[in-house]
Amino acid sequence: MSDIEGQEIDANMHVPLPVSTQQTEEDFNFQKFDTKEHERSGYLGNYTKETLSEKLANYYSLDELSSYLLKNPQFNRMTFQFPDSLVMDSSFVIKIVEKKLNESDPDNKRRLWVLADTAYSACCVDEVAAEHVNADLVVHFGDACLNAIQKLPVVYSFGKPHLNIDALINKFKETFSDVNSKVCLMASAPFTHHITAIVSKLKELGYSNLICSVINTNLINDNVTILSQNQIDPANATLLQTLGNRMLYSDNKSILTTSNDEDKSIEDKLREDVSLFYISIPQDPHLLYLTTMFNDVFIYDNSNDSIMSGPFPSLMKRYKYMHVARTAGCIGILVNTLSLRNTKETINKLIQLIRQNGKKHYLFVVGKPNVAKLANFDPVDIWCILGCGQSGIIVDQINEFYKPIITPYELTMALNQEVTWTGKWVTDFEAALKDVEEELATGPKEEDNITKDESDAPEFDAVTGRLIDTSRPLRSLKHLELEGPTSEDKTLAKRVSGGTVIKGTVSTSVAHLQSRHWSGLGSDFKTDEEFEEEGASIEQGISGVARGYGFDRHDAQKKE
Amino acid sequence: MRGLMDHVTNVRNMSVIAHVDHGKSTLTDSLVQRAGIISAAKAGEARFTDTRKDEQERGITIKSTAISLYSEMTEEDVKEIKQKTDGNSFLINLIDSPGHVDFSSEVTAALRVTDGALVVVDTIEGVCVQTETVLRQALGERIKPVVVINKVDRALLELQVSKEDLYQTFARTVESVNVIISTYADEVLGDVQVYPSKGTVAFGSGLHGWAFTIRQFANRYGKKFGVDKQKMMERLWGDSYFNPKTKKWTNKDTDADGKPLERAFNMFVLDPIFRIFAAVMNFKKDEIPVLLEKLDIVLKGDEKDLEGKALLKVVMRKFLPAADALLEMIVLHLPSPVTAQNYRAEQLYEGPADDANCIAIKNCDPTADLMLYVSKMVPTSDKGRFYAFGRVFAGTVKSGQKVRIQGPNYVPGKKEDLFIKAIQRVVLMMGRFVEPIDDCPAGNIIGLVGIDQFLLKSGTLTTSDAAHNMKVMKFSVSPVVQVAVEVKNANDLPKLVEGLKRLSKSDPCVLTYMAETGEHIVAGTGELHLEICLQDLEHDHAGVPLKISPPVVAYRETVEAESSQSALSKSPNKHNRIYLKAEPMTEETSLAIENGVINPRDDIKARARIMADDYEWDVTDARKIWCFGPDGNGANVVVDQTKAVQYLNEIKDSVVAAFQWATKEGPIFGEEMRSVRVNILDVTLHADAIHRGGGQIIPTMRRATYAGFLLAEPRIQEPVFLVEIQCPEQAVGGIYSVLNKKRGQVVSEEQRPGTPLFTVKAYLPVNESFGFSGELRQATSGQAFPQMVFDHWATINSDPLDPTSKAGEIVHEARKRHGMKEEVPGWQEYYDKL
Repeated sequence: MSDIEGQEIDANMHVPLPVSTQQTEEDFNFQKFDTKEHERSGYLGNYTKETLSEKLANYYSLDELSSYLLKNPQFNRMTFQFPDSLVMDSSFVIKIVEKKLNESDPDNKRRLWVLADTAYSACCVDEVAAEHVNADLVVHFGDACLNAIQKLPVVYSFGKPHLNIDALINKFKETFSDVNSKVCLMASAPFTHHITAIVSKLKELGYSNLICSVINTNLINDNVTILSQNQIDPANATLLQTLGNRMLYSDNKSILTTSNDEDKSIEDKLREDVSLFYISIPQDPHLLYLTTMFNDVFIYDNSNDSIMSGPFPSLMKRYKYMHVARTAGCIGILVNTLSLRNTKETINKLIQLIRQNGKKHYLFVVGKPNVAKLANFDPVDIWCILGCGQSGIIVDQINEFYKPIITPYELTMALNQEVTWTGKWVTDFEAALKDVEEELATGPKEEDNITKDESDAPEFDAVTGRLIDTSRPLRSLKHLELEGPTSEDKTLAKRVSGGTVIKGTVSTSVAHLQSRHWSGLGSDFKTDEEFEEEGASIEQGISGVARGYGFDRHDAQKKE
Repeated sequence: MRGLMDHVTNVRNMSVIAHVDHGKSTLTDSLVQRAGIISAAKAGEARFTDTRKDEQERGITIKSTAISLYSEMTEEDVKEIKQKTDGNSFLINLIDSPGHVDFSSEVTAALRVTDGALVVVDTIEGVCVQTETVLRQALGERIKPVVVINKVDRALLELQVSKEDLYQTFARTVESVNVIISTYADEVLGDVQVYPSKGTVAFGSGLHGWAFTIRQFANRYGKKFGVDKQKMMERLWGDSYFNPKTKKWTNKDTDADGKPLERAFNMFVLDPIFRIFAAVMNFKKDEIPVLLEKLDIVLKGDEKDLEGKALLKVVMRKFLPAADALLEMIVLHLPSPVTAQNYRAEQLYEGPADDANCIAIKNCDPTADLMLYVSKMVPTSDKGRFYAFGRVFAGTVKSGQKVRIQGPNYVPGKKEDLFIKAIQRVVLMMGRFVEPIDDCPAGNIIGLVGIDQFLLKSGTLTTSDAAHNMKVMKFSVSPVVQVAVEVKNANDLPKLVEGLKRLSKSDPCVLTYMAETGEHIVAGTGELHLEICLQDLEHDHAGVPLKISPPVVAYRETVEAESSQSALSKSPNKHNRIYLKAEPMTEETSLAIENGVINPRDDIKARARIMADDYEWDVTDARKIWCFGPDGNGANVVVDQTKAVQYLNEIKDSVVAAFQWATKEGPIFGEEMRSVRVNILDVTLHADAIHRGGGQIIPTMRRATYAGFLLAEPRIQEPVFLVEIQCPEQAVGGIYSVLNKKRGQVVSEEQRPGTPLFTVKAYLPVNESFGFSGELRQATSGQAFPQMVFDHWATINSDPLDPTSKAGEIVHEARKRHGMKEEVPGWQEYYDKL
């Protein structure tokens, strides 16, 4: 968590950096980077210093927000959550809102906090951080996935970014020269603001088979409020389909009925006939989801006015990972969200399912997972990530992660007795949970009739084409017929032939450590020919803290 | 038969090997017929050992098939056997193997479980590429060869050669076989060259069911002339002449008067045969009975009415039955398991030679702990189940016996790739049939039921927990041609995956795996091999309709020079640095690693010695090889050249893991690396263990390897076939034009002496080989049929990073197919500035 988070904003107060060791000015300079000129024209359009405040108020619909807050005086402790890209606006926003609140209701001292550096995905509401200050409301700024969270009420302010509609329409015309092409227009939550305007302009140009997607209003309830959302008039447009947090409308009722077979679901028709034109660049997992839903995907990059049409993340790669999971012995469950609804239930059920399949699991909660963090855990054969479908799932496109990462839905398929593949990309916990439960019910029952002294058959790994015998490490527990350590038994780990058992369960990581070449201090001396019995003389080591040793500082100075 | 198995000295395990279409299966028929399994009339046509429908249809052998035969020898013959024997009944375990190059792996699997080989050579075509390949393999496995020169009938009937010409052809063939033998023979085997005068060469016709050895004729004439048989045998071959006037033997081809003399071989051996042929084929009805009487041949009632070829067949079969000649040769000259295991043991066993199990193998001891090698899996009638086919090298295998099943990756003392399971049944494999038996002692070939789930292709079975593995077979062919398969109907997916597993089991060489793109890949040695595999997959193993992509080639990524500067990569936390350089390894070293001469599993010091002595490595470097990759055994190595780096050993596991990863997927287009040596020059590590863990080192080492690789003139390698084409002279021009079009390189062009046939050998990139046979047939009006076998990896000499070059095009194409960014990342992507 960052420095700012959870701190009351007071411009005059000097905030010391919370570091464990004392820092001199020199240390501080060493790690200080150049102050960046904040660039906002990307989303605000043209602005000057004078108009900035006004522009921002308009951008975030702060008037509407203030009036909402005034209307709901029960919210006393409020947190404003900003994604990294917008955190520079936070102080302005707080100032403006505070001012408005004080003007209209000077007696009620309400407290505001800024939540930044969201530990998991920025599109989700960071409920845990909000709870640190006992907040009773979260105002979420920027793009959002609108996924349901456990309990806190949320106000979403997507922002109204600037967009050069004419340039976009030109690109659209270049991409779809045929006015009869079936195109669905979609945009990230902030850009959805423009979508109706774009659609009506395109209609004027003769495009007749357009589908327009807007924020799914069904997601709005007592706990969820969305600021300044333009609605589609249901009178002249029909709702075709709901895709997660979007609703697809079209005024051409027959757009999807031209296909021959009537019994196909609308989803199938979308997949077969319709191209997607997406405004702004979606996050990888979301992009993957979109490619599975539409025939073709074109992305309009608003920052440099260009069209991107691939390469996109490939679902077939996921198929491979699913096969990897089938023969994985050890699964790391990587929790990349704490606030999404059903997270705990999904974890519990997944663990149950993994155990039922005789596989070992470890549970990890890692903020901002990256290559280095995950590669630290060698024994894990595959990671199963629980995170928000819009940006909380790592989709490894260039194979930089040491071990593949899959979703709970994919893991459930992998743990099915029979190889299954639906070609869908489901990230929603509720849907995944349903599958997990189904699988739990139909999955293999604990087999009692295993003959003790014979081995289980190994499994065929379709990825490498080999037989794998380590895919169900927990099975061997039964062969070993171990009694768990009793209360009198003081030993922590019990070594049995070829594997180690801790607290009555097989530990794959201990087994892994045992197979390592380097197993601790001195273990390498055996092979070292030049090893001298007397040992080496003492020499001075390096000094400092891990963040910057003496030599690092020295290096840095030299460079300057 | 079971009783015979205990007299191991009287067992002969042998395989029949040859070039495609030289008549192995046909010849085998005559042996099978002798055992009474098929009727004499059918022999030569039934091809008993071709058990599959497609084998019968295509007329080629695809899978090797085993059959056990019983044979009795006369007391006199038994005396001549130079090894220990016991009684005059013999058990011959024969394996008929495919001749087509694409199925060489079947031959390898057959050779492993046998001690002797019957090499079949076509009289007219002579020694061909596959003859050489299989012979080389046999000698590599320390297997003793005997030769049969087949299709003599064709020489007589179609080519109408003279006796002397025929002798010369025979002599040349024997000579060329011996050249191969002396090139590849292991000195342990002693002199294994073949000599007609010693009875290790037979001549005959499988189709007609006759064959002879000099020894048989020596037997006949020895009595007549009153000469010792051994002496007679020597006289009946080579430059030895008989002067009928003086009744004297001489080694000059003219008599005292300068008149030419007839060669003894021609006179005594070929003459009767020529006369029979002449008489029968020219319908000289009156001459025939005289001849027959002279040769003690009695025809039965209805046989007398036969004419022409049918009569010829009957007469020749009665005169010189093929089974007699072959069985005699096999029993007399091929080693028994006791003899053979004595010199094969150390080569078969991975462990030390003084190990109890190795000694048991050496002695072929049926009372010792079991040592059994499963060389292949044979499908049963029960779908999806297999017999494990193999040989007992020591101990006795019994039904119900609990054994340790050790897969190829098993390391003694560890439990990886080790299973314990009871054998359900032991069976004898008899071509199409099996016969259950209770147990089987060392030295015999058997099938096992109930352990197929534990082995993919091959493995070691033992009852001793100290036993090492039997050595893994090395195939002479590589699966370099691959296709992607997918199901037409998504619901069939589970069946496809199960089918791929079964396919993988049923063939020693086929590979099934998944590409980076998530496609299921089936890789085979050539187009024919793939075709058969896919057919099996679609109709048998998976049983569902499949979509099959056009064939593609597996490439390799390599380097040409040393990295132009040392590659530096920093860990994500910037506290650890790895400096390294990549450089190419010599082709010899890479081949030695691939062929197991330099074995990653060997003792480091012994291995370093070999590398220093034979491959010009620096001994200290060779000892400091950290690992081979990919998969721990590929032809890429990491060498630690650092000096006094603290904590270095601690990161070894991470470096090894990273290297496996990096070599498996090279930076150019995700293909495996080959012939790349990475020297770690220096490493800076953080003083705190937590900051130099796997998470920091693994990605860093991978990046550094890529950077070093890309700095060292990266190249790609493509697989190249050796093509051998036999054709008449007028077709040679057509061959050249097709080869030219396909980037082929002619290596040699020779006319086979005494025939109008030309043999053209050429190198042909596998990538260009698809459809090559068809085009060749077209260009030569069906007269040329190529044999293609993987020969080597050839570096494409253009920069793969330049999209306009040949290599660049291939890379570009592949990257597009794999959904990668079309541009190959430069070394800067992986290089960190200090």
